[in-house]
Amino acid sequence: MCRLDYRVAASLSSPSEVAVDVVDDPLEFGRFTRWVSGPAGERRAESSLQLAGMHCAACAGLIENALARVDGVAAVQVSAASERASVTWDPERTRPSALIAAVRRAGYDAVPDAAAPAREMRRREARQALWRLFVAGFCAMQVMMFAWPSYVATPEELGAEMLRLLNWGSWMLTLPVMAFSATPFFAGAWRSLRSVLAGRGRLFDPRAIGMDVPVALGLLITFVASTGATFDPGGPFGREVYFDSLAMFVSFLLGARWVELKARGRAAEQLERAMARLPETAWRVGPDGAVSAVSTLRLHVGDLVRVPLGQAFPADGVLHEGRTEADESLLTGESTPVAKAEGSPVVAGSVNVGSPVLVRVERIGGDTRLEGIVSMMKSALAQRPAAARLADRWAPPFLWTVLLLAAGGAAAWSLIDPSRAVWVAVSVLIVTCPCALSLAAPATLVAAARGMAREGVLLQRLDAIEVLARARHAVFDKTGTLTEDRPTLAGVRLRPLAQPAADAATLRCHAASLAGWSQHPLSRALVAGLGEAPAGWVSVREVPGAGVEGVDAQGRAWRLGSPAWAAGEGGDDAVVLACDGVAQAAFDFDETLRKGADEAVSRLQAEGVQVTLLSGDRAARAQALAARLGIVRVQAGASPEAKLAALAALQSADGPVVMVGDGVNDAPVLARADASLAMGQGALVARAQADAVVTSSRLDDIVRARARARRAVAIVKQNLVMSAAYNATCIPLALVGWLPPWAAGLGMALSSLVVIVNAQRAAR
Amino acid sequence: MESLYLLIPLSALIVLGIIAVFGWALNRGQFEDLEREGERILTDEPGPLDAGQARRED
Repeated sequence: MCRLDYRVAASLSSPSEVAVDVVDDPLEFGRFTRWVSGPAGERRAESSLQLAGMHCAACAGLIENALARVDGVAAVQVSAASERASVTWDPERTRPSALIAAVRRAGYDAVPDAAAPAREMRRREARQALWRLFVAGFCAMQVMMFAWPSYVATPEELGAEMLRLLNWGSWMLTLPVMAFSATPFFAGAWRSLRSVLAGRGRLFDPRAIGMDVPVALGLLITFVASTGATFDPGGPFGREVYFDSLAMFVSFLLGARWVELKARGRAAEQLERAMARLPETAWRVGPDGAVSAVSTLRLHVGDLVRVPLGQAFPADGVLHEGRTEADESLLTGESTPVAKAEGSPVVAGSVNVGSPVLVRVERIGGDTRLEGIVSMMKSALAQRPAAARLADRWAPPFLWTVLLLAAGGAAAWSLIDPSRAVWVAVSVLIVTCPCALSLAAPATLVAAARGMAREGVLLQRLDAIEVLARARHAVFDKTGTLTEDRPTLAGVRLRPLAQPAADAATLRCHAASLAGWSQHPLSRALVAGLGEAPAGWVSVREVPGAGVEGVDAQGRAWRLGSPAWAAGEGGDDAVVLACDGVAQAAFDFDETLRKGADEAVSRLQAEGVQVTLLSGDRAARAQALAARLGIVRVQAGASPEAKLAALAALQSADGPVVMVGDGVNDAPVLARADASLAMGQGALVARAQADAVVTSSRLDDIVRARARARRAVAIVKQNLVMSAAYNATCIPLALVGWLPPWAAGLGMALSSLVVIVNAQRAAR
Repeated sequence: MESLYLLIPLSALIVLGIIAVFGWALNRGQFEDLEREGERILTDEPGPLDAGQARRED
């Protein structure tokens, strides 16, 4: 279920270590393959592959040819735009791994694409939305043509016959808009009403009565009144028709929903692209000692598994043979690798960074710590405090005010002139059709999301904009969020020796070149800090869990590694360089702040946002980092459960909370927070649930996104005020019966247009 | 002016016709991969010819 992002694994394991054959396991290829029947009714498999390495449209043809040449492939279709291939193959004659191998031979790469069913569903949804939008848009255009004569000519010039014909044409073309295009609004309103009738929601609760209710009411009343005026001119509904405003309003609303759907689809697409990967492989050691690659889904409790250096542990278990270090930062937030001796427990999802080991599997699948966190995340998602959207908060008071005014108007007119009572009530309901009001929020939020995407914050849920603007509390994770997820070299201390083996520059050079032979995180930090350095070693060997040893041209043995192993000394230096057992230099490591972390925290605090550091790492390290950034509230050593409890406490004390995190251990908190942002290179399970992904991984982008969110909310409020002002001027006129129909129609159209144009400022 | 009595119903029917044509195109998936058709000229093999197109004699 949950696909982890094994950051270290991805960069360490060479392609030969990843067994392609595992995709031939039906358990695995079932995730990206569906069964279809061929032309003669035979069983055919249709697999989706995500391609990589394509740089132009012609590559699509090359890959198509390469796949078509595989024996047993019936049909291939490669899309250059989406970098995906759909292959139909004969299960009797070929296997999925042969398809991947063929793509690789052609010079590209392919991984299973398990997201195909979700994409198919999105495609169908998008098709349906576009179809509704087009029907509404085209009918609206033609209805406006039919309505045009009545705006420019007097009824006498037009003649009663012609007017009836035009109205009749308008009615006929509005029918598909009401019966087909506008059904989402009616369905939404019906759901609201049903929940109120069933007693699950109250009449004044914006979470129960959303904007769909006044929209549906306005549409229905306008359509019924206009239909009455068309077929019975001069009857209780008067002579005026509003089909043009009605059809245009529906197409505007559907247009805004279509853009929103597209934006959501793009975010999902990006996530799926990141999630496509080869299945996770475990190396099972059989009773005879033979090692075979199997899918992690095929592991059983009690299996012995070999875990190569740099790969993730496939299941929870205990170390059976060997010593190593495990990087558990994604699971616990602990920033330094944890030493594991024989018999120590290891958790699925943590990465083996010490040396190859044998692990006995103790818990698999849903019982592992990792799946435990994932299921905690799912229940946290359900407990997330429900927030009414900005526009929806206006819906119940708006609805009740309008209904009251219409009823009051009808009552007053039934005393003055009973024949006009119905007409007045209807005209109040028509002019208050909440076109502008219901467009005010979505149009602005969609524009703001577009602007944010340009700046590196990809929104997956538009409602997060409101929370981001409103929240007075931000919670940050430490490892991987405020800091880079890898250690960096902080300093080199040369040992004051009577006879140093070499000068400082040579020592640095030796250290860098020895470190280059190892893939340990600290070695890589050394190489990154000192630069690549070639040195003439006679022989080099790496001792797992200890360090690297090299013999130079003069026959001296240099050791780079733990102080105990390299120089036989104690002390708490992380790494020393020793020559013939005498320590020459020690290296200090530190966590580096992520780009923009300093600025982000100080600016958030300057804007009056409380910042809390919520870390799974040790207290001393969390405190030191908090002090560096000027964060006062720190909670360290927190397990995912403790993080969830801390967040819930903040929410009940301070209201909405924004959470920024990256690891698996953050996933439940991200799901529970009112608005959540995940770092772009964080764990997939965290990214999949977050409201927004910071693709740039720069923390100051969050501050910029917040500024944009605040501007967007200000624009939404402007829009709401403008549409309220329009309604406030029209309602009294309609109540006294002075509102000319052309002014009502024009007002409805203009107020919508003004709101849409104003919303575009949020994208700038 | 009398012609309008014919033209107005006709225009309504034409609109419905246009919507039907668009719906057909939409359901054939013609709006889903807008780039592929433009890029087809870059591929080596020509696509299958329609029945109405004659294959050139070489």
